[in-house]
This record gives sequence, structure tokens and C-alpha cells, in this order.
Amino acid sequence: MTDLPEPHVPDRPWRIWASVAVVAIVLSGALLGVVIIPVVQGRGAGIDAFTAICRALGILPGSPAIPQIVSRNPPTPVSQVVWTPAVLQVLADARVDRGRAKVLEVCSACHGEQGVSISPDYPNLAGQSGTAIYKQLNDYHTGSRTNQFMTNVAQALDEAAIADVAAYYAGQPMRNPNPATLGAPDAIVQLVELGDPNRNIPPCAACHRHGAGGPIDAPVLSEQRQEYLTAQLKLFASGQRRNDVYGRMRTIAAKLTDSEIDGLAAYYRAGLR
Amino acid sequence: MRGVDRLCLAHLWLAFAAFVGAAVLGVWQMWVRSPLGAHTGTPGDYYMSVTAHGVAMAYVLSTFFIMGFGYFVAVTALQRPLPGQGWAWAAFVAGVIGVVMALVSIALGKASVLFTFYPPLTATPWFYIGLILVVAASWVWCVLMFVSMAAWKRKNPGRPVPLAMFGTVANALMWLWTTAGVAAELLYQVVPAAMGFVQTVDVGLSRTLFSWTLHAIVYFWLIPAYIAFYTMLPRAAGGRLYSDTMGRLTFIFFLIYSLPVGLHHLLMDPEHGNGTKFIQVLLTAFVAAPTVLTIFTIPASLEIAGRLRGGRGVFGWIAALPWDRPMVLASGLSFVMLGFGGLGGLINMAYGMNAMVHNTSWVTAHFHLIYGGTVVIMYFAIAYEIWPRLTGRQHESFSPLRWQLWLWFVGMMVMTLPWHWLGLQGQWRRVANFNYDNPIIASWGPLVIVSLAGGVLLLASALLFVRNLVVLHRSVQPAPTSPLYALAVVPPRHVPAALNGFGLWNVLVLASMLMAYGYPIAQFVIAPSPSAIVHRTE
Repeated sequence: MTDLPEPHVPDRPWRIWASVAVVAIVLSGALLGVVIIPVVQGRGAGIDAFTAICRALGILPGSPAIPQIVSRNPPTPVSQVVWTPAVLQVLADARVDRGRAKVLEVCSACHGEQGVSISPDYPNLAGQSGTAIYKQLNDYHTGSRTNQFMTNVAQALDEAAIADVAAYYAGQPMRNPNPATLGAPDAIVQLVELGDPNRNIPPCAACHRHGAGGPIDAPVLSEQRQEYLTAQLKLFASGQRRNDVYGRMRTIAAKLTDSEIDGLAAYYRAGLR
Repeated sequence: MRGVDRLCLAHLWLAFAAFVGAAVLGVWQMWVRSPLGAHTGTPGDYYMSVTAHGVAMAYVLSTFFIMGFGYFVAVTALQRPLPGQGWAWAAFVAGVIGVVMALVSIALGKASVLFTFYPPLTATPWFYIGLILVVAASWVWCVLMFVSMAAWKRKNPGRPVPLAMFGTVANALMWLWTTAGVAAELLYQVVPAAMGFVQTVDVGLSRTLFSWTLHAIVYFWLIPAYIAFYTMLPRAAGGRLYSDTMGRLTFIFFLIYSLPVGLHHLLMDPEHGNGTKFIQVLLTAFVAAPTVLTIFTIPASLEIAGRLRGGRGVFGWIAALPWDRPMVLASGLSFVMLGFGGLGGLINMAYGMNAMVHNTSWVTAHFHLIYGGTVVIMYFAIAYEIWPRLTGRQHESFSPLRWQLWLWFVGMMVMTLPWHWLGLQGQWRRVANFNYDNPIIASWGPLVIVSLAGGVLLLASALLFVRNLVVLHRSVQPAPTSPLYALAVVPPRHVPAALNGFGLWNVLVLASMLMAYGYPIAQFVIAPSPSAIVHRTE
């Protein structure tokens, strides 16, 4: 009489062979993907075996199959603002009370204590994005943007003061953050919401309202002074103002007609008392 | 009605309510992307709608359907009461609260980040907290599935776990592994950013962690369809399952090979080396293994049924199958869609061909065909099969059920085949509107309209589905008492422990995940890359 095998016996080959199969599949993938293919591809591209393997692993940048291209053109930035975590932390740590004191001392004479400016030529700052105010003040500070009044004002402010002022005005309430509800010509609303793809003009709203996509330093435009907006769009169009990274606004503004510039400025003024 | 039946119905109705709402949004999205509805609404409206559609379809429909179906399987396949019903109800309530939090956040325009999140975009923290509640609810379900199987095994030492429950537990285990990636991404990166605690996010890391979840989640959705193929379809067709062992191997293969493969979603991403991508692409090829086993086993099972019903010749058994039964019809249609979708998937996983279709409508069409087609049509079939057993009432007629399934199939094919083609033409995905004044884009217009027509058929089918279930609730015919699950040709009396539990496979998943994802994740700690600025959309 033969004994029946113990219940655990038929399971042992499963354990062994399943483990061998899974590990062998992964290791053969590693051998092919990290060693054999990169070394062969690298040889064709004049890359040594060690570099090719490091690139295949991701330790060195670039593909094992093509030489890494290095740009030798020196950068010519139009703005000195770099959104590093440190700069963002400065903004996050800004103090509204200090900002208010500085505003009363320096800014309120033109931009108003609540951020509503005294003249149509000066921008409203109430509810403006803090990053937008920070970038513009910094650009005035470094000379990337110039203005007969603002250049001197900004040069007297250090980075922390700029952040405090930005935080203070950003905290002032807007009255109507959605000017589309106030009515405007369809063509202008379309330009704001959908842009004009035939002229490669992106929608203004893609960048210029709270929570929109695009660069974080794009200003919120609702309730802005009409005269100020018209003037800035024309300065961008003519290339006299040039602190827009990648020339985004210079490109867009140059494509707008005068009547579109007027219409857009009127659209964004809507809601201003 | 038993308490557990109410539990299942609550989950399933929530799933299908989300499904119908999302279907309406889906048609609206197709409309505004077509020449007929161009310039309707703003891009903001579109992305809000896409987010709601994705969250409802990918998280609410799937998760709650799978939970409800899992509870049903645990009770009916194991023939035991469900342990921890209080926990199950508590999880359901938490899940409902989570769904409401997420959907309200979206409706208020504070969470238009799509269901795949896309950091450095962040939504209101309530959106993420809501979804975390849904996932936490599903974790409770996973534990209850494990407890059910363990209790059954203690009572039945040495006996093989019924295949339906084996598949369900494989799915629960895979889900725990799967959700680890997205949970890490949300808790470690996205929620702190949304709360304002950090100002930057390492997008490479967040994309890598999401890729950990992104592929296996699709198999989490798919496995209920496979459970129906293996355990319900052979019985519905009047035959037997060709091989119980093939079924067990299929679920095990899904567990092992759906996880260490997510980097094939990042083939165009710069943060990983070509070699690490290659390893995962190779492993992705092995995901085809369970499908190949199924393509063999299920037609073999159907052939048994067809021949028992008098089918003769090489193909005569196909005509002899009872195609008037919803489970059989849905499975046939599901297989056709799996064929098309599977071939498309082979293109997506290949580095060179993916480069051509990456970020085009091809990809969107592919996942609609696989999930919306192959998987969801089986959700319908399962619902039609188990609803009578949950309510004690029988369908008065199968005719509207067949109509609904055919409408879904035709709608899905009409919608997704032109959509694939548009992707090959270069139509972008995740785009709110198209400028049909452009001659190239204008040439896409007719096919986009055909695709929209498919979407309308799908919506009609979705509404008919709900109508069919409502009619069933009012039916006066008593439910059948026939068995639900198929017997195997050779019913297993003893199977190796490896095919009756998951200890071994868990260790192998851990080993393969370490090999496949170890360095790709560790590199973000060893040599951190510049992080992206958090972009708060609320």
C-alpha cells in the first residue's frame, strides 16, 4: 500500500517554479532593457557602454541611443523672478499687517488703501494675485520693467516688503470677480473665453482669472482700469514693455486690433464703480 | 429581502445612478467637441464636465459596483452569511459622503482637475478627501472579502475556494496593492499642496506614483467581467466551465502582471530611463497571458454548451448557443469589443507606436472601448443576472434587455472606432474645443459627428438599462431558483495551496514591484529634480 502524499507536497513545485518564472521574467527584462539594448544602441551613437547603461537606468540624463544635445546659447531673461520653492515660501510667509503699514506709507497715495487707484492711469490692486504683484514689483526693482514713478518706489523695497505688500493687496476684496455677467459684445466675450484660433490668439481667460491655468504670475484682470489696460496692451504691442516671459503678451497684443484692445479693456473694467 | 440583499442593491444603485449622470455629461462633451456644438459653453464648463464624468465613471460606478457584486459573491458562492455587515454599511455611508463631497466640489468649479488629478494642478482639499473616503470604504470591503474567504476555509479545510470568490479576493488584494500608489500620491504630495502646506510638487514622482495605480485599476474594473465569464456564462449558456484551474491561473496572472507595468503610461515622460521603461513594457506583454487563457477557456466552455444543445460541425455550436439570454449575448458582444480594444492596447504598450498615438484621441477611444465596452456591458449582464436573486422578482421579458445590450454595443462601436481613427489623424485629447475653421480640423468634423451619434445611442442604452431594472422591481413573476454558478467539467476536489490562496503570489507581487518600481521611485529621493509650482484651480 502506498501512502498518499502530504497536502503540502504538491504545492512545493508551484512555489519554486512560480518564483523562478516571475523573477526570471523581470531579470531578463532588466538584462535586455538595461544592458544589451542600450550597449548596442550606444555603440551606434558613439556612446560608451557604461554611459549607455547609466542612461538606460536614468542615472545619467539622455537617451542611450542618441548623443545628448547641450545648448550653448547664453540665456537672456526678460525678468529676474524665478519661482523657486524659496521665493514661494517668502510669499507664503508674508505678513499682511506689515504689508498694510508699508502700503499706507508708500502705495496708497496712488493705488488706494483698499487697492482702488485714484487715477484711471494707475492699476487697481484690490484682490490682485499676490504672485502677480510680487513679479511686477520685482521687475521694477531690477529694471526689467520701467516707469517714471514705480522704478524708484520699487527700488526702495526689499524682497520681504514686496511680499508683504503683495499679500496685503491680494487680501483686499474684489466686488465682481466675474465680469462676463455684466454683458459685453459677443466678439469680445469670445476673445476672452475662446480666443481666436485662426490668429493663434489664446483666450485671455486661460491665464487672467483666479484659478486659471498658465503662469502663476499672470494678473487677474477683472475690475481693472480701462485706460491702464489699454495703455499696457499698446506698450506690449509696440515692444516698449518687455518683461513678459517668452514674449507671450508681446506676441498676443501685436495681433489685436485697436478696437479689440478697447473692447477687452472695457470688458475687464466692467463692474468697477 | 435579506439585509445583505439591501446592502448589495444600495451599492449597485449608487453605482448606476452615477453612471447615468455621467452618461449625460459624456454626450454633452461629445456635442461641444463636434462641429454641431462648437463654441457651446466655456473651456471651464468642459473641464468641469470631464472631471465629473471621469470621477463618476471611473471611481463611483466601478468601485461601488465591484463592492456590491463582491458582497453578493461572498454570500452566494460561499453559502455563508456575510461577516461584519455593520462595517459594510458604515463603509457604504462613508463612501456616499465621499462621493457627495467630491461631486459638490466639482459642481462648484473648485475641482476641475480631471479624475487623474494632474499635479501641479490642485483642487479644493474636499475633493481629495471625498475620494479618499471612497477608497477607504473600498478597503473595508477588501478586508471583509478576506475575512469571508478565511472563515470559509476554516470551515472547509482542504476544499477549493469557489472560483467566483477566488476571483473576487484576487481583485480585492490587487486593489489594495493598486491603491497604495495613488494613496501615497494624494497623502504625501497632492493634499499637502492643496492645503497650502507646500508650494511645489515633484511632478515626476506624482506621475510615477499614479502610474502604479493607473494600469492595475483597469484590471480591478475588468475582473468582475472575467468572474462572470468563468462562473456565470457557462451556466447561462447551458454548459460547464472547461477548466477551473485556468480560471484560477487567470486571476493570479492578473494579480501579478497588472501591477509592475504602469510605467508604460509614462513612455513619453522624461523622468525615467529607457531601460526601466523597457522592463515594464516587457511585463506589460505578460498581461496578455490571462486574456489568452480566457480566450481559450471560455470559447471551449461555450463549445461544450453549444454541442450539448445539438450544435454540429466546426462552427455549428456557435449558432446553437442561447444568444437570447442576456448573459450569453453580453459576453459575445464583450468579446468582440475586447478583440478590438485588446489590439489597440498592444499598440499603446509598444514604445514606437505609442509615440504616434500618445496624447491623441486614440487613447481616449481605447479606454472607452475597453472599460465602457468590454467591462461595463458585463456589469449590465451581471446586474440582469443577479437582480432577480436580490429582489426575488424575475424579468417579465428579455427583449428590452437584449435591445439595451445591442444598443450599447452598437453605440460603443460607432463612437469609438471613428474616435480611434481621429486619433491617428492627430486629434488631440483633453482639448475643450476645436477650431473647425481650420481645414485639417474641419476634415475631422464628419467623423466627430458619427462619434457623437454613437454617444447618443449609448445614452439611450443607459436610460433603457435603468428602465429595465425599475421594471424588474415592479415585476410580479417570482425569481428563478436555478443555480447561478457554473460547475467545471471536472469539478476540483483538491487544488494546490498556491491555487487556493494568495500567500505565495503576494510575495511575488512584492518582489516584482520592488524590481520594477524600486529604482524609478527611489531616484526621486536620491537625486531630487526641480519641482513644479503648485497651481491651485479653486
